Amino acid sequence: MDCIVTIDIGTTKVKVSAFDQAANLIGWRQGTYPTFHPQPNYSEQDPEQIFLTVLYALKSLLNDELTKKHKPVALVFGASMHSVLPIDKQGVPLRNAVIWADNRGRDEANALKNSDECRLIYEQTGTPVHPMSPLIKIRWFRTHTPATWFEKVYKFISIKEYIIYQLTGQLVVDQSIASSTGLFNIHTHQWEERALNYAGIQPHQLSELVPIDYSELKLKKEYVRLFRLTSAAKLIIGASDGCFATLGAGVVTEGDATITIGSSGAMRVAGKQVIKDPKQRFFNYLLNEGTYISGGPTNNGGVVFEWFVQQFGASGIHLDLEYTVNQLLIEAERVPAGAGGMLFLPYLLGERAPLWNANARGAYIGVNITHERRHFIRATVEGIIYEMHSIGKLLQQYRSIQNLYINGTYATLPLFAQVLSDVFGKKVYVNDKHDSASAGAALLALTHLGVYPDLEAAAKTIRSVESYQPNPENHERYARFTEIFDRLSQKLAEDFDALVALQ
Amino acid sequence: MSLLNWPIFSMTEFRHIKELIRLKNPTVRLDEWPVRVRGGLQIVCILEGKFEWLIEHQRHVLYPNDVVVLCPWHGYGSPTNTLEIGSLAWLTIEPTSFEPSKELFLGEWSAIAEADQKLMGRLLMTQAPMVLNNFKWVCDLLQRIETEVKQAEFAYQTRVNQLLDELLVTIVRQLSQQQNQRRDFPQAFAQLEQLLRDSLDHPWTVEEMAAVVGLGSTAFTEKVKSFSGFSPLNYLINIRIAEAMKQLRQTAKSLTDIALDTGFYSSQHFSTTFKKLTGYTPGQFRKRGTQ
Repeated sequence: MDCIVTIDIGTTKVKVSAFDQAANLIGWRQGTYPTFHPQPNYSEQDPEQIFLTVLYALKSLLNDELTKKHKPVALVFGASMHSVLPIDKQGVPLRNAVIWADNRGRDEANALKNSDECRLIYEQTGTPVHPMSPLIKIRWFRTHTPATWFEKVYKFISIKEYIIYQLTGQLVVDQSIASSTGLFNIHTHQWEERALNYAGIQPHQLSELVPIDYSELKLKKEYVRLFRLTSAAKLIIGASDGCFATLGAGVVTEGDATITIGSSGAMRVAGKQVIKDPKQRFFNYLLNEGTYISGGPTNNGGVVFEWFVQQFGASGIHLDLEYTVNQLLIEAERVPAGAGGMLFLPYLLGERAPLWNANARGAYIGVNITHERRHFIRATVEGIIYEMHSIGKLLQQYRSIQNLYINGTYATLPLFAQVLSDVFGKKVYVNDKHDSASAGAALLALTHLGVYPDLEAAAKTIRSVESYQPNPENHERYARFTEIFDRLSQKLAEDFDALVALQ
Repeated sequence: MSLLNWPIFSMTEFRHIKELIRLKNPTVRLDEWPVRVRGGLQIVCILEGKFEWLIEHQRHVLYPNDVVVLCPWHGYGSPTNTLEIGSLAWLTIEPTSFEPSKELFLGEWSAIAEADQKLMGRLLMTQAPMVLNNFKWVCDLLQRIETEVKQAEFAYQTRVNQLLDELLVTIVRQLSQQQNQRRDFPQAFAQLEQLLRDSLDHPWTVEEMAAVVGLGSTAFTEKVKSFSGFSPLNYLINIRIAEAMKQLRQTAKSLTDIALDTGFYSSQHFSTTFKKLTGYTPGQFRKRGTQ
């Protein structure tokens, strides 16, 4: 039997999975790598370490028993968006990769914000102007490095391009990853001159653009040997993890939405049209030619709950995070919806969508003398979900949404799932494919191999295994909270700024 | 007589103990407690009162049973030079060698294994100066050392040295546990990663790595595997090869130098490991980069 191997190069780890011809997961391996913060606003990763981790995970999966029964016929790549790695003419990295979480370009982003130039760039590229965007990061390099260094940069590539370059010697970028750089025109599918001018680079300083099912990549023979593959195994370039996660959740047409809450979170919809938000709050990335994945990312997902757990969860030595999370959720379940009238703004890490305010900060409000720890736990969960709702509310101004498909470690926890359903007042589904980013990659490969006629048909094969019904009473109650939540998030902007100045 | 010359006892029998002092201060003393480097591996216990000190430029408020651990090059004292009312006890050990660039060697008196002493040095270097809050155990140990010295009973020299070892081991364990308690494993692991990268040429063992995050080696291996997908040693090799890849392509250093710098004991060992992981020998990989 044949199998598909997906390689998902994420922020904290690479996950390599094998799927059979029906897109069932048959095995996986993973390896982690760290993020370095040489300065408070910096987030960097070592490209060689990521490459070695990819090799290690691939090798250990492909040299396993499993691949004796299943012959790998295609390898397909997914990866985090927005990373920037400058390389020289020999393909050698000139420094560590700068990843999406890096905020060094704050001043550049603020300077561009609210200008006509900003609006034009956003309309053409679909990527909100923000320090996460490679557009801003390259501009930062342009203004903060000596000209002699900048001239040495042969190309600015992403971590995914580097891994593929190491494996094949080819410098290419798929249109999906490219569409998250802020440098790519999502309408013409070419590099966008206006954005390149702003960043200060020429088109030849970026990789050649290819569609996501591009399979002309040739694995170097050393790796064919190392992975014990046959040279017939195809390499498919693939897309970004966000687009794959949407496809892998079964959402590629209008009408449904996905909600992901892992460490960060996002709400996404798919469609043939881009969402034209005059306030530039939503991204429009390309899954493939003709399908846009639009939505909003939040910084404050599971990471906020983990913060709570670490600070107030338990005092035991060698605290086991997962155990403590579950203990706290049991406590929170005993509190009725609304946490006794307490409300939490979860902006511990500033916020992207829908506020796009790096200075936003957290707050518990409405606390009274009868509130106990369990109310705070409940309020924390609810606050994270109110934030997701504030993205969803705006998205619904542009798209009707019937069903919600949830994924990610936190969204699929029963309490989170039920509160999501109650707050949105919609039925919430959990799919059989837990890792939807890898599943999406497998669906693309299977479509490319002719198993499915197109991605739409492939997406239809995703099945839901669990669902949560909204409780109408709770929904009504939550509606009053989300109204206050949205108002407070706006109203406190000035005070957020004043507090940040003191931090 | 200056405050600083109030030893509990004459220390001629213990050359490695620079000071063992108990200080009761009944009145506020101006100009007695400036910020300065006092030298030695110093352990200060707060016994009574409340003290506001600058420890390596960081302001700390200390309460009874708080313990401050300082390396010989760390400075501390009151930002206003004032010694507040209260009582303190401190012990200063003079290690045979301990500098920011030199490994810790306590001296012949200590029964702690040499490798453990080196690890202790590295941990102290990265984590001290550190305030261990409400750590009465250390204050009690200090009291016992003091009693032993004063009473000079049968074989008290041996007993004092044993107590010193116990004190140091207790503190080092607490350093890494306090670290581990406050943060989750991923963060403790990130800190370990930094330490590994800072001294890649050191022949790390699993036991040493485990000690850094304050775990036993079995629990550590299990946690690392489930967290990172690698065994601890494979994770370390991964970092070593990543660094070697960088040096191969960005420097003109010889293969042997790169091998030794990244913690391989021979260029042969380096080459086989490199090939096993990357599919290329280091020489082939270097050439590939310059094509």
